[in-house]
Amino acid sequence: MARQIAQLIAVLAAALMLGSAVARDRDLKTPQTPWHQVPREQQRALQPVAPEWDRMPGYQQQRLMGAARKYPEMQPIQKERFEARLKDWAAMSPDQRRAARETFQGLRKLPPEKQHELRERWIQQHGGEDVGAPRSRGPSTPDYSRAPPR
Amino acid sequence: MNEKEFGAKLKPWLDRSAAQVGELQATRLKAARLKALDAYREPASFGGLVGLNGLLGATRHTLLQRVLMVLPLIALVATLAVRSLNEDVDLGELDAQLLSQELPPDAFIDQDFRSWLGKSHS
Repeated sequence: MARQIAQLIAVLAAALMLGSAVARDRDLKTPQTPWHQVPREQQRALQPVAPEWDRMPGYQQQRLMGAARKYPEMQPIQKERFEARLKDWAAMSPDQRRAARETFQGLRKLPPEKQHELRERWIQQHGGEDVGAPRSRGPSTPDYSRAPPR
Repeated sequence: MNEKEFGAKLKPWLDRSAAQVGELQATRLKAARLKALDAYREPASFGGLVGLNGLLGATRHTLLQRVLMVLPLIALVATLAVRSLNEDVDLGELDAQLLSQELPPDAFIDQDFRSWLGKSHS
């Protein structure tokens, strides 16, 4: 009995590992999209990262294009923020982007009043600086040579 | 660990992902299950008690039959794994929201902010 359970667990673990490997492999194999093949509407939104575009890994290009697809639906202030932050966002390491997404998703799980409280607290602590624009965080030209997935 | 305990541990995994299985995958799983059932022969039963041992351990089942029996489970878990790692289901949309809301992305990697958030959740 114990042997059968162990076999079943081994099968489950193997299936999980297989799934994970497939996803990673797919990320690394995502082909690059040349700038001229990016739809015009998305090119407009992605203009701030145009100079670095051809050096970005394919999976990052795909995700930026996914974000740019939402650009036409944004309010003017949101478009302004998007444009101002895009370059620094693309320059973050994959780990930083993943951490930022996780924190952002964590924030969205809080009740609105709590979210507001945390936002206000952060803005106050950062001296009411223009939160629309990104703060400088070292070199703005990313190193795409080391590009772990995500 | 007996069968019930094992089943109880496995159930949340299967429940969580069952809702995410698409129609095509559900049809394939169903087909694989029916195929496995066709290949199934009643295992040894004593007083109506049939266990996992009877299902997987009976020597009269060929390797192929055993594989067919667990195939739906493997397919389900693999689908789940791919989906969970595939959270770029719409990472693009998430990124668009992150970049266009009030706080800059820097805030979300700021240690202070993350620690306040952690406290708010606890």
